[in-house]
Amino acid sequence: MKLIKKQIPLAIVFITGVLTLVSYYVPNKTSVNYIETMNKWENIVVAFAFLLGLVSLFFSHYHKLKKKADGWGYSIFVFVGFFAIVIPAYVSGGKQMTDAGLTPLGWSFKYIYNALSGTMFAVLAFYIVSTAYRSFRIKSMQAFVLFVAAFILILGKVPLGQMIWDAVLGWTGAGVNNVIDWIMQVPAVAGKRGIMIGISIGAIVTSLKIIFGIEKQYMGKD
Amino acid sequence: MLNNKIKFNLLLLASFLTVSPVFAAKSAEAVKALKPALAPVTGLKAQDMPYDVGGAVLLTWDAEAAAPEGTLYRVFVSSLEAGGWLQTAAFASGEKMSKDMGLPFWAWKARGGMHALNVELNNIYGDFKDGPVFHFKITKVKGTVAAESETASSATVSNWFRLDRLNNLVLLIVIIVIFFWAVSHARRKGLFIRRIAGLDAIDEAIGRATEMGKPIFYVPGIGSMGSISTIASAFILGEVSKKVAQYDSQIKVPHYDPIVMTVCKEVVKQSYMEAGRPDSYREDINHFVSADQFSYAASVDGMISREKPAACFYMGYFMAESLLLAEVGATSGAIQIAGTDVEHQLPFFFTACDYTLIGEELYAAGAYLSKEPMLLSALKVQDFGKLVVMVSVFFGMILVALGAKFGWDGFVQGLLHLFRNY
Amino acid sequence: MFKEKLQKFFKIDRRWIFLLLAITLFVPIIKPLGLPNKTIAEATSRVYENIEKLPPGSFVLFSFDYDPSTRPELHPMAFALVRHAFSRNLRVGVVTYIAGSTGLIEELFAKVSKEYNKTDGKDYVILPYMPNILAVLTQMSSDLYGIYTKDRNGTPLQDMPVLKGVKNYKDMSLIVCVTGTAILDYWVAFVGDKYSVPVAGGVTAISQPGYGPYLQTNQLKGLIGGMKGAAEYESLIKQPGKGTSGIDALNLAHLLVLVLILTSNIILLIVKYF
Repeated sequence: MKLIKKQIPLAIVFITGVLTLVSYYVPNKTSVNYIETMNKWENIVVAFAFLLGLVSLFFSHYHKLKKKADGWGYSIFVFVGFFAIVIPAYVSGGKQMTDAGLTPLGWSFKYIYNALSGTMFAVLAFYIVSTAYRSFRIKSMQAFVLFVAAFILILGKVPLGQMIWDAVLGWTGAGVNNVIDWIMQVPAVAGKRGIMIGISIGAIVTSLKIIFGIEKQYMGKD
Repeated sequence: MLNNKIKFNLLLLASFLTVSPVFAAKSAEAVKALKPALAPVTGLKAQDMPYDVGGAVLLTWDAEAAAPEGTLYRVFVSSLEAGGWLQTAAFASGEKMSKDMGLPFWAWKARGGMHALNVELNNIYGDFKDGPVFHFKITKVKGTVAAESETASSATVSNWFRLDRLNNLVLLIVIIVIFFWAVSHARRKGLFIRRIAGLDAIDEAIGRATEMGKPIFYVPGIGSMGSISTIASAFILGEVSKKVAQYDSQIKVPHYDPIVMTVCKEVVKQSYMEAGRPDSYREDINHFVSADQFSYAASVDGMISREKPAACFYMGYFMAESLLLAEVGATSGAIQIAGTDVEHQLPFFFTACDYTLIGEELYAAGAYLSKEPMLLSALKVQDFGKLVVMVSVFFGMILVALGAKFGWDGFVQGLLHLFRNY
Repeated sequence: MFKEKLQKFFKIDRRWIFLLLAITLFVPIIKPLGLPNKTIAEATSRVYENIEKLPPGSFVLFSFDYDPSTRPELHPMAFALVRHAFSRNLRVGVVTYIAGSTGLIEELFAKVSKEYNKTDGKDYVILPYMPNILAVLTQMSSDLYGIYTKDRNGTPLQDMPVLKGVKNYKDMSLIVCVTGTAILDYWVAFVGDKYSVPVAGGVTAISQPGYGPYLQTNQLKGLIGGMKGAAEYESLIKQPGKGTSGIDALNLAHLLVLVLILTSNIILLIVKYF
């Protein structure tokens, strides 16, 4: 059992990991073909995994309906939503638009999915504004610096803000765009670079841990 | 009908074959008619393009010190012993110099006064197996005058090593050596690791959930299993669910990616077994929600606002849904701990969550929580990597500045080559 | 007493703020104010110049990876980019790694191809959605036909006039990725850097600051950011569209945020020091 659950998977990880790593340094056709095959396999596995997801989704909501668990009414919408897209997709043969115009799939995409998805992202704007109101408070020196930077950025991002800046601070000679450019190009980039470098090194080390089988929690423990 | 079509095509082919040599002869005559008042290209050499997959030839030839303005080079290739020339490139005399090859100094000796051109034959002849010899010639053209070089020939080879990536390989080997040194060192000695408040708060959050009798939501983000932050998230989930099992609390893990779900199922199951509570494990702890970013966010938001969990964990890869999730969690009154390596989502987590793990802290979390020396040792390698970067940046800055001041061009170029990705 | 009232205002139900924002956005959408878009960011004009300098007939690959959620910001950008490419008579290829964007791409090309009289297969090609982007990006470096054999309607790609002489990244003059996800990062790291092909991008305003380092090192040849970027690009190609018309709402919403932040801080000051 341990062989199947632990050693063979670890060997697969090690061999494919090392081969993929090596292929970066080996330009030969063999290595190109190897990467090509791996990519195709990966795509196939991902496609099958969607099925897995679908089964899990259906089972969990089916059980909720069956048990009449709390909020079971919402589970009905999972099925309604699913069929509202899948049936038109099947009827239209996967095409959203033909010469005759929108197909049923195109219609559901445009008038159902578009609207729902757009709404979710739009909610973000409301949250950002209310979060800004609640949490952007100057309670320390750092918060003050952050406040000044944010204030200039928000102001300078829109034409009306630029006009206000010109009217109020135009005499200083510094355009709001120059100030924004400096903030974005110097302190912001410097900070981001630091985080990026740290993250990249972390990613390399984590990859090595996985390839060499030191980190194997993702398989469950012994 | 079909026969007629085939016959017609054959006829067309035959007529083309008989006519084309005439065209070729005519164009050759036309070239000859241009009086060769120009000196032809000298020193043309063809060789296999090094460090490539094959199908390309490297041409080098002497550059003219004072080529008259407006001089053009036209490069021709042929797969035949005689004739069959096809133009593959045309450029001004000042271009495609040896120093512009874009290869580092250890892999390419850039010589002044020399042209170098990488001719990719796949673009002309489609895919072919290495082996056949190709012939090349260069015509120098100035206005209506042209001069042709001698031909040079070479076959192509699929190479076995990217010498230009040697710097990368050396760095990798150094990191691997240090990695194993750190691992063996860790077995012998313990390692110090600083406190990470966000991770220490996990116990508190789970304790609170147990007291309140409310569930815990663990959101692993929208990354696939290929993203390091998702892998790190799976490690943390292992530790969190073990504690949840010990406290006999409830955990829910909604998923965006079915593969991540499968992995997490295994991880959670194992944790419950380790905690000695396999009976408490349920299959629907991990459940798939949607592989669409905002459908996922909407659905998880719905669950959070209905069930009012005591604690929410957001660990992994997050994009615009970060604030959508965290804000709803915050208004529902949950203790929230987030962690992601997507830097531009960090501000949202900072404002809406109680604790936030930044990038590397997330990677380190698995090691920190499990306290396994082998895993902790990897953190040391990370520190070493950072040290290398800091030292390189510091000295690199000084050396490049000095080089620019004192005109050490070669030295500065060499230094830059060392740190470039090829 | 006054302080207590202020404190109350501090903890105002967030739904009031939502309402305020809704009204602020609603007014200019119903009755446009026509506020001007004055400046053009350097990053936006870099994208424009990179397309402008390409000779007619060059192949440009667009990776449109956004779904309806980010449509208001990104769709105008995509429109402007495709219009620009078509007006320059460039050959256009489109790929996508977000299933939700297929409908938007159809919508875009149904409209723009008619404006410029362009034919599917000859002047542009739309490749089907592919999952697992990293595998596809790696594959396209050697041979794109290894992974894409047909276009989204099932027409074989081999011998398609628009793809003549295009086999991998080396044959592409520019790649522009419009996305609200991390897909632009993948294009930069796995394609731009590795195969030295120019990559430019269009992103949502929220993720725009994150690309500063790439712009500075020229790993990214240009960046269009958010609705303002779309409006800027529209003014560069002199074809005002949805981006330009969104500027009013954007203006007022930004100012509202400023007013809210200022208000909350003034209250904080009064409560703390008076």
